[in-house]
Amino acid sequence: MDVDFAKTRELLFQLKLSDIIRGEVITMTPDQRMSELRDILRDRRISGVPVMDGAKLLGMVSIEDVIRWLSEGGDDCPVAERMTPSPKTIFADQPLINAIKLFDQLGYGRFPVLDRDSGKLKGIITKGRIIEGMLRKLEKALREEELRQYRASHIFEDIAADYKEIYLTYDVVGKDFERAGTASTQMKRNLKRLGIRPDILHRLAIASYEAEMNVVIYADRGAMEYRITPEEVSLRIQDQGPGIEDLEMAVKPGYSTAADWVRELGFGAGMGLQNIKKCADRMDLSSIPGEGTTLKIRIFTRKNNETN
Amino acid sequence: MTLSELATELEATVLCGEDEQLETEASTVAAGDLMSDILAHMGTPDLLLTGLVTNQAIRTCAVAGIRAMCIVRAKPIPESFVELAREEDLVLMKSDLTLFEASGKLYAHGLRKAVRLA
Repeated sequence: MDVDFAKTRELLFQLKLSDIIRGEVITMTPDQRMSELRDILRDRRISGVPVMDGAKLLGMVSIEDVIRWLSEGGDDCPVAERMTPSPKTIFADQPLINAIKLFDQLGYGRFPVLDRDSGKLKGIITKGRIIEGMLRKLEKALREEELRQYRASHIFEDIAADYKEIYLTYDVVGKDFERAGTASTQMKRNLKRLGIRPDILHRLAIASYEAEMNVVIYADRGAMEYRITPEEVSLRIQDQGPGIEDLEMAVKPGYSTAADWVRELGFGAGMGLQNIKKCADRMDLSSIPGEGTTLKIRIFTRKNNETN
Repeated sequence: MTLSELATELEATVLCGEDEQLETEASTVAAGDLMSDILAHMGTPDLLLTGLVTNQAIRTCAVAGIRAMCIVRAKPIPESFVELAREEDLVLMKSDLTLFEASGKLYAHGLRKAVRLA
């Protein structure tokens, strides 16, 4: 929701009036009659017309002028007598937001849009036109986003190669609890974009997060490397930490060497590795005390592989 | 009940969350301060009740796909915590009730634990 709103605001600043006004402008000469104006408004379904003397803009006449004219008897005078002379204009290279401010400040329903260099009339801007132009652009942006999402989620079908692999790597800093978990939450978003099934995504995210927390809690630094293929996502987490003395004990539920401050963060209850094991299709843990630990996790993303 | 009705029930203040998020239905809840426990055993509830005010609580929600969180026991909540919750599109509320009281009230209203994904 926030994103859409930001997009709308962005468009108001990005889009220029020249992007949304129509090319052809219906104009009148000052000696044309009010009855002609009434017919033009009705037939062309527009709400105002600029009054021109050749290339020179003299004024604007609008549906409001027609209503006032009718209520005052409808004497068929030239439009020059009823127009708003020397109307406020706006340049075509200005952003939509400027036009919106003008509508707000002056209360008119429309403004003539001029070319800045030549001073020529390029079109008429109305609130309706702004809404229409915005909707068209938003729709286009939405379609492009959908296409991007589609392409990302079908990337392995879109590209041809004998072996297809995507590698994404994150650095993990030990004891940095402000950032702890960012790799896994980012990765969850990435994998979602890549079209990984929600139930598999859930398992991957949990395994990844627990593994990331282990690095943050126990090691000075580490790296997480995701390898994505059409068949599986594998994750290798390598850290430069104290290593694990007793691998067998480490995977036992409830066994933990974590300090109390770790528990205060909601971790360190000796469930991490268990949790990872439960989420993964394959898990491999190796460690050299004093050097570090390597954890490999594989999760199969194709149904037929899950029973292998 | 909707998340906004649930907030009323918990006498909670909503710290972030869009109106349409607050109008979504909630029927399942998990409660606890141990994030590993929540990740391991509690599936994807509609709401997490916790007293843990660290970034890890929010990231646990993001990872497990939990959309709303209520901080209990009137813990002080830093603005950076609310900001992170907003970034993760999470509904965040806080209540003066204890974890026990909050859980009891919601249970009495028919809310239950989430079924774990196989």
